[in-house]
Amino acid sequence: MINGKIRTGIAGLDRMLHGGLVPHRPYIVSGPPGSGKTVLALQFLLEGVQGGERCLFVALEEPPNEIKQNMRAFKWVADEVEILDANSDIRRFEPTPVIEISTEVEPARMREIDDHIRKTPDFESHEVSVHSLQQLLKTLFIKRRYDRVVIDSITALKYFCMREFEESLTTQSFMRFLAESKVTTVLTVELPEEGQAPPESFLARGEIRLHKLRDESGIKRFISIEKYKGSSHDEFVYPFEIHSVGIVVLVADAAAAPAE
Amino acid sequence: MDRVSTGVPGLDAMLGGGLIPARPYVVSGPTGAGKTILAMQFLAAGLAKGEAGLMVTLDEPPNEVKANVVAFGWNLDRLKILDATPDIKAHKRQRSVIDVGTTMDVRDMDQVGEIRQSSQIRAMEVSIHGVQKMLKQEFFQREERTREKYKRIVVDSITALKMFTMAGEDSRIMIQSFMRFLSELEATTLLVSERLNPKILETEFFLCRGEIRFHKSLDGNVIRRAVSIEKFRGSRFDDRVRPMSITNAGVIVDAQGVVAMTGGKLAALGQEYLEQRMGEEVATVIESVMKMIEDAHRARLVVTDIEHAISRAMLQIQRRNYQKAMKGALHAQSAIRERLDKARAGLPPLPPPASPPPPGVRR
Repeated sequence: MINGKIRTGIAGLDRMLHGGLVPHRPYIVSGPPGSGKTVLALQFLLEGVQGGERCLFVALEEPPNEIKQNMRAFKWVADEVEILDANSDIRRFEPTPVIEISTEVEPARMREIDDHIRKTPDFESHEVSVHSLQQLLKTLFIKRRYDRVVIDSITALKYFCMREFEESLTTQSFMRFLAESKVTTVLTVELPEEGQAPPESFLARGEIRLHKLRDESGIKRFISIEKYKGSSHDEFVYPFEIHSVGIVVLVADAAAAPAE
Repeated sequence: MDRVSTGVPGLDAMLGGGLIPARPYVVSGPTGAGKTILAMQFLAAGLAKGEAGLMVTLDEPPNEVKANVVAFGWNLDRLKILDATPDIKAHKRQRSVIDVGTTMDVRDMDQVGEIRQSSQIRAMEVSIHGVQKMLKQEFFQREERTREKYKRIVVDSITALKMFTMAGEDSRIMIQSFMRFLSELEATTLLVSERLNPKILETEFFLCRGEIRFHKSLDGNVIRRAVSIEKFRGSRFDDRVRPMSITNAGVIVDAQGVVAMTGGKLAALGQEYLEQRMGEEVATVIESVMKMIEDAHRARLVVTDIEHAISRAMLQIQRRNYQKAMKGALHAQSAIRERLDKARAGLPPLPPPASPPPPGVRR
């Protein structure tokens, strides 16, 4: 720990952050699909687990069994990471009231996740709403102290769990809830390939952005700190690669500042 | 780990052996790039190994799908094809929208003949729910009949499916639910998608577990085709753009080939930074107003108009109208501060204006 900061699990990124992340705050990791957000988020939890911390992954985009399978491509031991399946079931179309995710839902440990997807029950289906998820997290945070939490992704939360809510306000109040919970949280945000960032990235304490660009030699990935309140940080954009150990930031060679 | 072959050896090589089974993938690209051909090739490769395949067609009627692939000489007789093309709409008022399926129209490919005629009495409209219901029915009926599951499914196209979402439904939620449904079937699925606008984040592109993208460009008077893997969860992959061609054997990918690319997107990277900083200042003001709104709620003050004003300011940020956003946010800030101060002083709260004036209208 440097100046009370916690490590992200990626040495190069810690250097860019001048030591790591200020704990007990929410941070955003943004980037287009396929840029490596989930990998970064999992490395962040892995670092915590290795230090004996309690870590929770809230899965809104992919079922836990697939996340577990995907991790086999990496040389990681993540058995102790807890994972909360917040994927909505197949929705029913009959005009029955929607049953929200139960507040009794408990996260499972990664090692307990089996190979098959959880099937929607025949007679009821769970729809996750931002309200029920917030309630559930609140209860979990009271029951036990989590050191690190990942929400993957806030975009899925916004797209699929905010029926009849005003999106910007609700996202903002969800982030305020996390800020007040005093848990170090990483929220992933999906960006379109071109064009502007969604408003939630303006409202975070810090934002790490992943860039995905193509040239003749393939996909080039870059990482930058877009903002970091309460700490100094590198202003450069650095290249990174995804290896079997996870994300490796090539801090030695700063990317040439983009021309024009 | 087991992999599912796409039926194109060059593409399998790019994917590090093939697709990871039981997951949904997107095949994207412009019209005429070869998406449907790849999809059919994927199904044919399955049939050749004895894996049952199902084609859900929304863009073209089955007879055209059949005619289009005859030239490739694949044996698709055992392929099941589900006709979800919408009928010609009857131009009269309907009481409610009826789901697809004049009949549950799943046929073997070899029985596909003429185009299905629209029912004279009432036209059927297609909805995601209807397609899902048909798929489910067919999936489980087949399991009952033959004790065998569909291993490969193609939906051609998800773009069309999205357009059939009924008014009042949220297409993002519908697509999420549909993709969840496909995941639970545990078949490997290709969703054909036209990439309409790279500036809009489409649900299927971030929920899919991988994206195969086709490129088509004009070089002089020759059409150049190329393919790339944009995303592939849980596997390493070849991240270069590789040349491909469409021959009488279907899609051929040259996994060693090199494509010359023009234009550098690298240049655009720096420009975003400045705007980010501008947005930040507005965000700080919005944040302070948000806090005061919460105070107001606690004090049971009605501040609906302030909430609306803040929503509008956020919208302005989104549209990059930082000046307007700042103006709106500052205005809301002073208004709510005034109301809170009055409430604290024990005065009765001012009634909020009946309807806030629409932005941009001067009196």
